[in-house]
This record gives sequence, C-alpha cells and structure tokens, in this order.
Amino acid sequence: MIFRAVEDADLIRQATRGNVESFNLLVSRWEKRVYNYLLRITANREDALDLTQDAFLKAYQNLRKLDDPSRFAPWLYRIAHNEAYSMFRKRRPESDVDEIEPEATETQITVGGSSIFPIELSLAVAGALDRLTVEQREAVVLKIYQGFKFEEMSEILSCPVSTIKSRLYTALELLKTELAPMKARGLS
Amino acid sequence: MSCSPFDLKEYFLRELPSPQRFQVEAHVKTCPPCREELERLQLTEAALFSLRDEEIPQRIAFVSDPIFEPSPLRRWFSGFWGSTARLGFASAAMLSASVLYFAATRPAPAPDRTAAPTMAAVSPSPKEIQQQIQQAVSKAVAQLEARQVETNRQLVADFERRSNEELRSIRWAIGQSDLDRKRAQVSKAMAMYVQPGESGEVK
Repeated sequence: MIFRAVEDADLIRQATRGNVESFNLLVSRWEKRVYNYLLRITANREDALDLTQDAFLKAYQNLRKLDDPSRFAPWLYRIAHNEAYSMFRKRRPESDVDEIEPEATETQITVGGSSIFPIELSLAVAGALDRLTVEQREAVVLKIYQGFKFEEMSEILSCPVSTIKSRLYTALELLKTELAPMKARGLS
Repeated sequence: MSCSPFDLKEYFLRELPSPQRFQVEAHVKTCPPCREELERLQLTEAALFSLRDEEIPQRIAFVSDPIFEPSPLRRWFSGFWGSTARLGFASAAMLSASVLYFAATRPAPAPDRTAAPTMAAVSPSPKEIQQQIQQAVSKAVAQLEARQVETNRQLVADFERRSNEELRSIRWAIGQSDLDRKRAQVSKAMAMYVQPGESGEVK
C-alpha cells in the first residue's frame, strides 16, 4: 500500500509536468473504484460512467492544485462526490438531496456475486442499500467498500467526523437488522 | 447497549489503535452479548460484500491533443498564480525594481542656496572676512543714505507744497481786504451825494 502511494505520487508529479500517459496510468488504477463508488450512490450505470469521466477530467484540469500527492484518493473522491451531488441538484433542484431515491429498475444493479453467493442475497443487499438515505449509503460505500478512514471521509464529504459516524452507525443498524439474519440463514 | 471498554463499531470498522483493539478482543471473548453483536456486524459486512464491484463499461483515457493541452505559457502562468511563494517573490522583485528605477532616474536635489554663504564663510581667511564685512557695511550705509535722501526729498516736496498753499491763501486774504476797503470808500462817496433837504438836518 505504501509502495502504491509512492508510485501514485510519482505519476501525479509527471502528469503535472504535462505527461498525459502518466495520468492515463493513474486513471486505469482508480477508474473501477471511482465508477463503483458512483454506481452505488447513483444506482445508475450511465450516470456513474458519465460522472466518472467528468471527475477524472476535472482531476486532470486541477491536478496542479493538489498540494499533497499522498492525499490524491480523498481529493479524487471529493471531486466525484461533488459531481454526483451537482447532478442530483440539477435533476431535482427544488427537493432535498436526502429525498432522492434510486430508480426502481436499478434495484437489480448487480448480480456479479452469484457464483459464490445466492442471487437473492445480492438483491437483498441492493434493496437494503437503496432504502438508506443518500448520505447513509455514501457513508457505507466509502467505509465498507472503499475502505477510507473517518478523517478521509470527513475530507471527502466535507463534514465533521461525528456526523460521519452518526450516519454510518445508523446505516449499520438498519443493514444489520435486515441483512444479518438473511446472511446467517445462507451460511447455515 | 454494548459493555465493551471501547466502541464495538469502531473496532469492527478498524478505527481503533492496536492497544485498544486488544482490549476489545479480550473483552469479546468473555462477554457473550458483545460477541453476538460483533458477529451480527460481521455477518452484515459479509452480506454487503456479496454485492461485487462491477467492471467499468468503458475505459477512460486522455489523449495528448495540443488543442486541449494548455500552452506552455498558459501552464507557466497558471503555475505562477497557483504558487503563493512565487507570487510573493515576484511582487517583492517588482517593488525592488521600481525603487531602483526611481532612484536612478530621479534628478538630484537642487543645492541649498541659502546655506552656501554660510558654508563659504566657514573656510575664508580673516582678511577675506574683513573685506566681506566692509563690503556689507558700505552696502548697508549706501542703502541708508539712499533712504535718507529719499526721505529728505519727500519732506522738501511736502514743505514746498504747503508753502505754496499758504501763500495762495494769504494772497486771497489780501485781495479780499482790498475789496472790502474799496467797497467802504464807494459807500462813503455815495453818502456825500445825498441832498440836505432830503436828509432833514438843515432848515
């Protein structure tokens, strides 16, 4: 992980000097993670792809503003988060972002785990995540799926660690009530 | 409610430092409710991981197109404005350059003419000083004499003017007394022509 961070920092330095290939290498390392993060919070593949492209374009344009290359990941996710919320506001400017619900057809967004886990469990997880608020879902995605620390999440979401914890713990309680018994049945 | 010495969720989310992690692990071994709570959280996490990451449908790549690439000048300019240190250094350099420019192009201040005699008076010999004093004295005397002559001239002019006026008034007064005298003679002569009967004195 340390070696990876050093290499990313080198690529960032080369990209800031105008080396596009270095940036492309950086993109290839992060595009899948950023795409899946955006997919989980938008629940729409097309939106997630468009937002991923926009996020990397903005990152390329503003790479020189990144003071500390070791903070590239939170910085990149912060851009992706802003892009996603900008899209939410454009689509429903009069409503609160909390109230935005994913499309009903997107409940079946992923069946990739069917070879190992039962498909019902994947659908149940997708449904349980959809029932969370956007903020709660984003907190779960950043912590459980993307593995960020609380401080990094605070930087990405631009809110205090206490707020992050509150959102995450509430979401975990809801998910635990819904998913733990199901998972226990699947294991038994 | 957990009886764990530290937050069980923070332990589960790998946010606790090692010493505290060990304490929670020791506690969980002896506390069935906390162990069950931790197992439920781990089951939830396992269920969440049933949702696998998807591959991105389309790879993202940027091309080095000179149309979209910022020019070297623009890149330098944006880099320049993005750096506070460079901006500060450039401002200081410009300020120094302007100070030097003004120092080089500004004309030298004019010599103080009032101070020159004082400066010159310090160095001359006593003979020169004596000469300068005599010159100054003779100049002052000449000025005084000129002023005196002018004053005298004005006084003489005033005196002549006043004398003329008095002379004119005296002449007028003499003329007036002659006239009165002649009038008296005429009156007297006219009185001698008056007839005696008319006067009533001789009968």
